[in-house]
Amino acid sequence: MSRTSRGSIVSMALRNLNRQKKRTVLLGGAIAFGVMIITIIDAFAGAFMQNVSTNFADIAAGHIFVSGSEQTASGKSYAVIHDDTALVQVLKETGIPAEYVSKRSMAQGTLIFESKKTQANIQGVDFSSERYLTDRLILSQGSFKAMSNPQGLILSEQTARKLNAQVGDSLILQLTTVTGQQNVGDMTLVATTPDNGLMSGFSAYANIAYVNELLNLAPNEYQSMGIFLPSLSGMDRYADAYYKDLKTKVNVKERVKATDRPAMGGPMAAMFGGGTTEEKWTGVRYSVTTLDDMLSSVKQIVNVLNSVSLGILIVLFLIIMVGILNTFRMTMFERIREIGTMRAIGMQRQQVRSLFILEALFLAIAGMVVGLIVAAIIMGVLSLFNLGVNTPLFMILRKGHFSFSLPVARGVMNVVIITVLTLAAAALPARTAARLEPAQALRTTK
Amino acid sequence: MHLLRRTSIVILALAAFAVAPLGAQSPDFNAMLRAVDVNGSFTKLDYSAVFTIVTQKPNEKDSVIQVRLFRRDDHDQIVWIMQKPEAQKGQGFLKVDENIWMYDPESGKFSHSTMKEQIQNSKAKSSDLKRTSYVDDYDIATTAEGVLGKYPVWVLTLKAKNNEVSYPTLKLSIRKDKPLILKEEDFSLSDRPMRTVYFPPTYIEVAGKTISSQMLIIDELNKGEKSQLTISDVSVAPLPDATFSKAFLGQSSK
Repeated sequence: MSRTSRGSIVSMALRNLNRQKKRTVLLGGAIAFGVMIITIIDAFAGAFMQNVSTNFADIAAGHIFVSGSEQTASGKSYAVIHDDTALVQVLKETGIPAEYVSKRSMAQGTLIFESKKTQANIQGVDFSSERYLTDRLILSQGSFKAMSNPQGLILSEQTARKLNAQVGDSLILQLTTVTGQQNVGDMTLVATTPDNGLMSGFSAYANIAYVNELLNLAPNEYQSMGIFLPSLSGMDRYADAYYKDLKTKVNVKERVKATDRPAMGGPMAAMFGGGTTEEKWTGVRYSVTTLDDMLSSVKQIVNVLNSVSLGILIVLFLIIMVGILNTFRMTMFERIREIGTMRAIGMQRQQVRSLFILEALFLAIAGMVVGLIVAAIIMGVLSLFNLGVNTPLFMILRKGHFSFSLPVARGVMNVVIITVLTLAAAALPARTAARLEPAQALRTTK
Repeated sequence: MHLLRRTSIVILALAAFAVAPLGAQSPDFNAMLRAVDVNGSFTKLDYSAVFTIVTQKPNEKDSVIQVRLFRRDDHDQIVWIMQKPEAQKGQGFLKVDENIWMYDPESGKFSHSTMKEQIQNSKAKSSDLKRTSYVDDYDIATTAEGVLGKYPVWVLTLKAKNNEVSYPTLKLSIRKDKPLILKEEDFSLSDRPMRTVYFPPTYIEVAGKTISSQMLIIDELNKGEKSQLTISDVSVAPLPDATFSKAFLGQSSK
């Protein structure tokens, strides 16, 4: 008998899989389930960072932020930009494709209404020029026109609910000025925004002139300049270019990227500067940060998600490996006389091994394909639901929808790991089958 | 022109003459403020006392905190041991220069930190933790006479000398007969009343100083919120050096 061709082995492997449909479906189903879970987690993690960055950029009105910091006589630093001539000039010189530039101050304090109070971060915005905010911010009650009231205030529904305040109510804001003096302001709730989860606390807006007055800043001053780019790409490159040029003109704090050190005190602290430091300087010292620098904690969440998914992948497939190993051992004993016959009529040891390995490979490929298809269907269905902006998940959604993005490298890594583990599981029974002596195999009775 | 100058001089002289008797009757307010500062300062002396703070908030149960405090200001040393509430009894705090140790009686363990770390993790600044001096931090803007209860008082409006003190404006009602404050009103930068502190005239005499044994702090922004602070067991007797040690915290907490 002539040697069995490679094509025959492939068709035999496929026939064997087809012969034991129930077993094939169960093993393939287990692989498909594992692939589906891993793919969904990875794709979710892939889109997570992108969505958070995009949504945060919308809230903070920028991808690159420039803040100024000055020191009091006692060494306490506080955020202020007195004169932004150099900042604007650098923006022009570097040719950064800024879609929009925002200038904001922020009041951090306690809002009091009747006997209720809550902490609030209120962004001071120039509503007459910040078209970006008025175009994108959705109001659930009230209107932007009401911000013509100098003491007008926009709060998230969640914060308004905490205070039991309605549009039209007068609230008290207790805060400290930039240098630490106690101050109190009267504000009128003129509009509310829908709840948007974690960032609800930052969705509070007031007129920058009044916020500056309460912070004891001059009307033309502000604390942070946000540069809004057309997309997330190039953010770091543009920030580096801006930093280098700005450094030639004014005192700029050395740029520390998130990859070097996590942002201290959360994203808003990174954006608005301030705080206590041992360093001393005179005049205003500027710092340049990006969304990536500020959202380093979000990156850590993504890293945790990735590690968890890798852990699940390995544990799940170790369990599946045991299943494959046992099934293939059983299969080998079931087919022992068949193997003996094939060996007796001229099939080589290598070909017997290949037969088993190919069966495992086809099983893995089929499982992965089915798993990916099911994952794609589930992700497609999930992304159809519009959860709107009135949801705590707002920050991780894309325009109210779940979104998924599987990084290519991650997908390739998963395929390689699954293939290797499946083949490794089948290797031992394949080797045992290949080592069977034809005469001994033919003598064996089941 | 010459006549005008002469007339002006005469008017100024008359005005000065007219004001002079009033000036003679008014006390030296700066000296008064300095005396208030001195009366409240225990530098060069050890100080120990029990502070009981009862806080009332609308729709909430009153909370009671009681701590035993030991201070040696010259060496920047503070110790306090929590006595109430029961759940926190025995918790201790030791500050020596920039170092802080906190003691948890349940685990019997100390946690160490520094003033710098504490400040960095809060909105506080170093100056918040130092005793304020009215004379150093404020200028006298206006003075007036008044009566508080049965006590004739001088009402001094103080304006901060710098923009880093917590309250930009204070209004002190100081007894005319002694340099003792009966009422302190604290105002925000926007001149809104933020809190009023009453010092009822129940005094403790310690080391030649007269201190109020009680304070009533009324939150003017959060209506209905107030705290009553009672000081008892005041002593300026020298404390053993071992008081300002970790071992003392451990022993006192048992």
